[in-house]
Amino acid sequence: MPGWFEQISCDLGAAWAIARKDMKIYYIKPSILVSSLLFPFVMFLAFAIGRNAPAGTLLPGLLAITLLFSASSIEPVSIPIERRTKTFDRLLAAPVSVRAIVLGASLSGAVFASAIGIATTAIGLVAFRTGIIHIVALLAGLALTSLCFSTMGTLFAAYRTENVGEVMSLLNLVRLPLLFISGVFIPLASMPAWGQTIALLSPLTYAHDLILFAFDGTTLFGPVADTAVLVLATVLFQAVGALLYRRSRE
Amino acid sequence: MDAIEVIDLTKRFGDNIAVNGIRFRVREGETFGFLGPNGAGKTTTIRMLTGMTGITSGRALIHGHDIVRDTLAAKRLMGIVSETSNVYDELSAWDNLVFTGRLYHLGKAEIRRNARDLLETFGLYGRRHEPAEGFSKGMKRRLTLAMGLVNSPGVLFLDEPTSGLDVQSRRLIRDVVQDLARENVTIFLTTHDIEEANVTCDRVAIINQGTIAAIDAPEKLKQTFESLQSVEVSFDSARPGLLEALRTLPQVNAVQKEGDKFRLYTADPPEVLGSLCAFAKEQNLRPISITTRGPSLEEVFIRLTGLSVGTKKEAGEADAGLV
Repeated sequence: MPGWFEQISCDLGAAWAIARKDMKIYYIKPSILVSSLLFPFVMFLAFAIGRNAPAGTLLPGLLAITLLFSASSIEPVSIPIERRTKTFDRLLAAPVSVRAIVLGASLSGAVFASAIGIATTAIGLVAFRTGIIHIVALLAGLALTSLCFSTMGTLFAAYRTENVGEVMSLLNLVRLPLLFISGVFIPLASMPAWGQTIALLSPLTYAHDLILFAFDGTTLFGPVADTAVLVLATVLFQAVGALLYRRSRE
Repeated sequence: MDAIEVIDLTKRFGDNIAVNGIRFRVREGETFGFLGPNGAGKTTTIRMLTGMTGITSGRALIHGHDIVRDTLAAKRLMGIVSETSNVYDELSAWDNLVFTGRLYHLGKAEIRRNARDLLETFGLYGRRHEPAEGFSKGMKRRLTLAMGLVNSPGVLFLDEPTSGLDVQSRRLIRDVVQDLARENVTIFLTTHDIEEANVTCDRVAIINQGTIAAIDAPEKLKQTFESLQSVEVSFDSARPGLLEALRTLPQVNAVQKEGDKFRLYTADPPEVLGSLCAFAKEQNLRPISITTRGPSLEEVFIRLTGLSVGTKKEAGEADAGLV
């Protein structure tokens, strides 16, 4: 077996082991599951109350926000905690590459957010009596958005601290503005030119566009471009994340 | 081939040099103690040798694999038991071992077999499905050691393995470490327990302020400090001024009172024994016990690390002969 193939195989095996461990410890907990499922409904009320838009049209935006928050919330908490309890040292000491550690941490968030996204979609479809036009686009949107934002959360957790609050503060400095510049609350067409330019830099813009396409067929950039940008953003976050974790060991 | 080879290893944190160009070799199957006071550079050294922390300069080889250039191959050969019992509290003992086995790319059957054997060895098999958060300190420590052994390592790094444990766990861990040494596993042990190093290690290195002060077998290190030999005497009665009187005996460098005993430090114990008997007769004292003692490893450690009153000359003698 070639060395590179064996290395990739080992990396994937280790990443999946880390993802399973994280899911078992941090995600599959009654409190996390309940709060993650309640989150979209709270957001729905915040969206829907006082607006005249039909409830069904809110589903894509609601889903994009749910994926952003469920995917990026746990690793920035769990990694500083593991630094404090020194269990993170286990990963650093094991024959596992840094990219496998980053991928494993991201995968757990992605699997969890995808599951929450599917549940939100199912409830939304029944409650709003709406339908899906492009199921493949929806599944790709769920999976890629989840992986992209869970990788973003893992990247922020590379900040070398044992204090969860420090990581979350930094993350929210980026995460909250994304809501307003990505066409979720305010349609891109209604934004000023500078707002539209900034929106192009946000992965959430493309995630929302892809999910919108899946539900009602409308799209600004097209599903292929949306998919390509989400894949590129994920690869970029993975690479920067691996670099930062490697540097944090120096 | 040496199990561990360290060449001019240095670690800087900004302007602070935590480890300063240390060099040593550990033979395959050797139990090597790494002693030093707090902040001497022990943990930083262990973190560099295990690839957890980057190296500023120098090299470290594990069975010939460079820890920087060939990290994963080097890590596959190691087991690591860190100072903290870093088990996943939410996972069961079994799941902790299975997860560790997966990180070391072991097959399913091997993981199950090793996990079962190790849990039995460490007396945790009956509670294997319980979350580790309910375990006592000693049980968590045993589980940490089991996790360090799940990949059957050729080199085992043990950072303070028995610190703060009850007698039962301490003895169990010591027995396992001795068994591993018999199986030709190389053991790199850091400890504050000098006596533990004395009875466990083939050789010890003493590190102080980031540099190696001495490396040798414990008994050879002790012989280096002739002036730390002593005669311990206990008399049937204590009299005022006895301590001062004993200090005047020829060849006695210092006298310490330790409970009902007096300890007379000398480079020539037979000479002191003779004058002590004459002194007792003259003072009408009856010695209850007289023992000659060599220096303990703890005394050697204290002299070398400057934690107590000691002479630079003696530390220099040790350096010249041992490093």
